[in-house]
Amino acid sequence: MPLQQRLLLLCGALVAMLMVVNKIKKDKILMVDSIFWVVSSVVMMVVAAVPELAIAFSHILGFQSPSNFVFFCVVGFLFVKVFSDSAEISLLKNRVDELTQELALMDVGDTSHTDETNGSDQDESR
Amino acid sequence: MKVLAVIPAYNEEECLNDTLAKLAATCPDIDYVVVNDGSKDSTGAIVAGLGSSGINLAINTGLASAFRTGMKYAYRNDYDAVVQFDADGQHLPEYIPAMAQVLEQEDADIVIASRFLDGTRSPEGPRGMGSKLISSLIAATTGTRITDPTSGMRMYNRSMIEQFAKRFDFAPEPDTVALVLRRGGKVVEIPAEMQDRQGGESYLNITSIITYMSRTCLSILLFQWFR
Repeated sequence: MPLQQRLLLLCGALVAMLMVVNKIKKDKILMVDSIFWVVSSVVMMVVAAVPELAIAFSHILGFQSPSNFVFFCVVGFLFVKVFSDSAEISLLKNRVDELTQELALMDVGDTSHTDETNGSDQDESR
Repeated sequence: MKVLAVIPAYNEEECLNDTLAKLAATCPDIDYVVVNDGSKDSTGAIVAGLGSSGINLAINTGLASAFRTGMKYAYRNDYDAVVQFDADGQHLPEYIPAMAQVLEQEDADIVIASRFLDGTRSPEGPRGMGSKLISSLIAATTGTRITDPTSGMRMYNRSMIEQFAKRFDFAPEPDTVALVLRRGGKVVEIPAEMQDRQGGESYLNITSIITYMSRTCLSILLFQWFR
């Protein structure tokens, strides 16, 4: 992998790290949600520092050049990330609906606690 | 000193009543509030019957959010201290008065009921490894050795109550203990026994354990310096 590409990778990783830290400082991202980005930056730094890794894997998997392999991996990971974000947005939509309904029912004077239909598909880790 | 026990409850129908009965019998002068975190079982019905000592969240929001609901309640009702207390019967209410005394006498921000302080036992198994790792990270970054950072029985003073009620991403977890220590706050441990959970199932599964450990370690090692 050419030196310029390794430097670019390193810069990208550093910029990503700075962006995450900046958001944390401003209370604009939960620490839980920043794990993915910190881990990704560290992996990018490792690939930039030890290009032999990318070279070995590109040989094994039949890529013409290590940079192709790196691009492929980044695109792959982003696909997965975008999909899991979609799933999370769906859950959030559902939760907003749920809350809106609960609030509206409160106005009607229904004080009974919520039924079993909620919570079943929620992310219990947050 | 007005002390409130905040008891987050998620699917705790099996032991919640016992826990509350023991708490009321042992510490009659301590108020409590149970926060039902959108349970799927009948915890909601139990909590609905508690009057002003019960809060039902409409959806499941997670332990930190449920606990912070209790902290907002404590802040608005002018409590001087809050003890984080498990609904599953692990925590013994006998220690609450001792914790309150230490909090007041030593002017501490956080008092932790530690299972390992007296040295007769040490953390074991995978859980213990996590606990030891967190303990050494806190010691390395703050210079203070916390023997039982993952103990869920902690007491917080008024200024901590306000921070829990108002600050962003502030969880009742070890990384908050580290943050308080680094900011010059005072954290004191007292020796305590704990029981095994008396029924029901734990909040934790593999994914949430990995997320928990990554969040805690990253927070102590990296984000602590920027928050």
